[in-house]
Amino acid sequence: MSLFQPDANMFERLETQDSAEIIARPSLSYWQDAWVRLKKNTRAIISLNIIILLAIFTLIGPLLWQVDPALQDLNQVSQPPAMPKSALVVDPFRGWEGITIDNYEPPADYADSVPAPTNVRAEGTATTQAVRIAWDQVPGADGYNVYRNVREPTSFADLGLPLGATYGDELSYEDRLSLEARDYYYSIVPTDGLDEYEVFTQLVVTPKLAITRDEALERGLIDSLDAVNIGDEVTIEFHPLGTDYLGRDMLARLMEGARVSLFIGIVAPLLYVLVGIIYGGFAGYIGGRFDVLLMRFADFVVALPFLLFMILFKIAFGIGPGESGIIPMLIALVLLMWPATARLVRGQVLQIREEGYIEAARLLGAKNHYLIMRHIIPNTMGVILVTLTFAVPAAIFTEAFLSFIGMGVAPPTPSWGSMCNEGVKTMLSHPHELFFPALFISITVLAFNLLGDGLTEALDSKMRSRD
Amino acid sequence: MRRITVILTCLFIQLTDGTALASPVDFENQTITVAITQEPPQMNSAKATDQVSGLVLGHLMEGLVRYDRRGRLEPGVAERWEMTDEKATFYLRKNALWSDGKPVTAHDFVFAWQTALKPVTASEYSFIFFPIKNAQQINNGELPADKLGAVALDDHTLEVTLERPTAYFIKLTAFNTFFPIREDFFNSKGDKYAANADDLLYNGAFIMTEWKHSASLKMVKNPNYWNKDEITLNAINVDYITADTRARLNLYTDGKIAFTRLDGETYKDALSQRFRIRRFTTGSVFFIEYNHRPEKVTSNLNLRKAIQHVFDPDEMVNRVLAVPGNLRGESIFPVWLNGVEDKFRREYPAPMARYSVATAQQYLDRAREELGGEIPPLVLLVSDSPTATKQGEYMQGLMLNKLGLDVKIDVQTFKQRLAKMTSGDFDMVGAGWGPDFDDIMTFGDLMASWNLNNRGRYNNPAYDRLVQIAMNSTDPKTRMDAMGQAQQILFDDAAVLPQYEQGIIYVLHPKVKGVVRRVVGADPDYTHAKVVP
Repeated sequence: MSLFQPDANMFERLETQDSAEIIARPSLSYWQDAWVRLKKNTRAIISLNIIILLAIFTLIGPLLWQVDPALQDLNQVSQPPAMPKSALVVDPFRGWEGITIDNYEPPADYADSVPAPTNVRAEGTATTQAVRIAWDQVPGADGYNVYRNVREPTSFADLGLPLGATYGDELSYEDRLSLEARDYYYSIVPTDGLDEYEVFTQLVVTPKLAITRDEALERGLIDSLDAVNIGDEVTIEFHPLGTDYLGRDMLARLMEGARVSLFIGIVAPLLYVLVGIIYGGFAGYIGGRFDVLLMRFADFVVALPFLLFMILFKIAFGIGPGESGIIPMLIALVLLMWPATARLVRGQVLQIREEGYIEAARLLGAKNHYLIMRHIIPNTMGVILVTLTFAVPAAIFTEAFLSFIGMGVAPPTPSWGSMCNEGVKTMLSHPHELFFPALFISITVLAFNLLGDGLTEALDSKMRSRD
Repeated sequence: MRRITVILTCLFIQLTDGTALASPVDFENQTITVAITQEPPQMNSAKATDQVSGLVLGHLMEGLVRYDRRGRLEPGVAERWEMTDEKATFYLRKNALWSDGKPVTAHDFVFAWQTALKPVTASEYSFIFFPIKNAQQINNGELPADKLGAVALDDHTLEVTLERPTAYFIKLTAFNTFFPIREDFFNSKGDKYAANADDLLYNGAFIMTEWKHSASLKMVKNPNYWNKDEITLNAINVDYITADTRARLNLYTDGKIAFTRLDGETYKDALSQRFRIRRFTTGSVFFIEYNHRPEKVTSNLNLRKAIQHVFDPDEMVNRVLAVPGNLRGESIFPVWLNGVEDKFRREYPAPMARYSVATAQQYLDRAREELGGEIPPLVLLVSDSPTATKQGEYMQGLMLNKLGLDVKIDVQTFKQRLAKMTSGDFDMVGAGWGPDFDDIMTFGDLMASWNLNNRGRYNNPAYDRLVQIAMNSTDPKTRMDAMGQAQQILFDDAAVLPQYEQGIIYVLHPKVKGVVRRVVGADPDYTHAKVVP
């Protein structure tokens, strides 16, 4: 009997195979997985796009729309959004001497009644620079009141705005009061120098939109005074989102305001969330009496009134009158808003610290800093990001509120909050001055909130996709 | 369902009934209901300084003389008066009574004036007595109060010795601070004088019967008033105290009050509701006051001249304020002041700078040379009202765009602004001045070096001299010539930058007639108002 002696020829070499058959889904890191799930959340993605658009609006917008946000255009005050307009070029405005009677004798006594003024007429071309109204003398009257209405008066009580009064020897009035290119109903009422006689004569005037040649040059609408003739038309400055109460371009102001609002909205949360992470991380990781001490201090900070500190910082920093309060606002936010993040992070760290894998790592000889960097911080990242996205709208809102009450930016620097503050005064007559900044605040805050919601879901490791 | 409908109908009827009944005027009882802007801060006539107190006091008290509806002087407690360069003698009417039935005597005036002048009273308006002999020394504590040059010769004759000839002395006596106070009543009340409705004695057309602090007050016709037959209104109910113009317009629309002032926003609502809008020029002048203290850059004439040449009051009034009624600010002397025969400003037209950026730049270059280089940011102090901050922003934009000057806006509350003005903590300040009496001097001495209201400490001896001439002369021509020259000096020095003369617009219930708007004195004045059917 001999043992079986295998021959090498009996064996055949198998071809080298890279790997065996694998039945597995593609390996995704935590972040990749989160991103996959975030992409499925439409609201979050729309929000993210809005935020990217806002960033473009803020950073690139001013390069494309190069209008000085502080430049006043008093020809176009409180204009709603409109298409570009053209205006008549006129001579520089000269005050009108008007029509006066020489050797005027005031009536000896107050007449009981007088006839209505006759021959009420507009002198010269009525433009938005000036409307000149003249009339003939009314016997017995010792003065005239001039009214203006935007619709046809129905009665003596409905003459509209009392523009002014003239003495008895003045038979004309020059109206320059924020004129627009529309129909105006002027009424002339004779007076005895104080009281009105209940008669009036009415005149409809439609002034043409006009700009003086000097102003057109000053504003850069024409290259030289000779470039246009009096009576020509020029296209005046275009304000796509309208203008504010001093004729400043709303779009340029919104872009400028976005810088302030988003600066506070992003820098402040980044800073205070960072403070919160470090503080909460320490407290949670070290634990014990130290933790108790740190957390009681955090409670104390929560109790401090924000507004009061904001004011104190403003004074302590020697922020003089008319200077921006943005830096004290930033400091006050950072110093007072970190406890919320600190608490969250601490809770998370306390929990993770007790996990099995931490214990295992420690047994394998991992040092503290390795544990913190490798295991604890990455595992708290989800919470931190979510806090951050919710902190951004809160900070934007705080800035808006503080600027609204006048504690924030100094004029003429706009911020969305201060623009709302100015716009609210003219809410009924010029709603666009409030609407646009309010819209931007709302959209930004909403976008960050929805993104935060999406991130909460995406970063929750319990929700990791199984498909 | 039916029940609900019934209830709803009841509610609806009640609601409609309520609005139909609500009326701020009552023809049968001749009463009107109005609102005031704030609680009267000081009802002691010797100490009152503000407009609201002046308005209420003007209905409750009467001075020696008063103004009629066209702003002319008419007899008040004094039946007639005589005036020389040295003396004014007032003959008081015998039927002028206090609300408790005792006669108003010359002693009551002497006592009131002495009280206001005593340093212990610390009346901010004590300076208004200074034309009276020894008044200033008494106010400084150098002489006892009984040395005042106002003496009751008997119960009904008051003789006032003047420190210097004062052309406008009679007009002064219509002012609040000159109202009488009865000594025995004043002393019996002590510190509580004028604190409540029954802590005051009245000698005017109305008496205050009810004063709920910060809520309402009620004035009814004074049965002891000597001229009560001329008074038609039985009561003025001040049911609302609010400074909010929108709230007041809502009250007016709802038929709760008979009068309210409108502002740049509310007037558009009033227009669309087809209310009759009226206009009135308050007589106050608003201007930018420069700080002339030597350490400030605004003490440089060329810098001020530069600003003067780019500021266009017409644009300010028509495009920035954009509320009808305001007039271009061309001078610190408003248009309504009387001159020799006509209005002062028609006789002495205000010099105006021609708007020119080029000229302004030349001035600015000179200013830079004199100040040695760049001009530091200027601080513009403004009060915290929406209009004031808007004007501040306009000035800021103007000076930046036209002159390249950096301006910082310092927004402060009224009190804080006054404190900063007094301490000189500003470069420019948005200031205003309202008249106290109907004479050019109420504006004339405003910029005099000795006037504490000259907060920028402007000092020009030539101007001071002209003010002295106008103060000490009784000849209208001499006085007005001096003021005309003073106007020119203020312009040449660009001492202040006049911005606008304040105008206001308001609505008044159509059934109320005879309400008087005044430049000087209680405004609006309901004394001779009546309700028509």
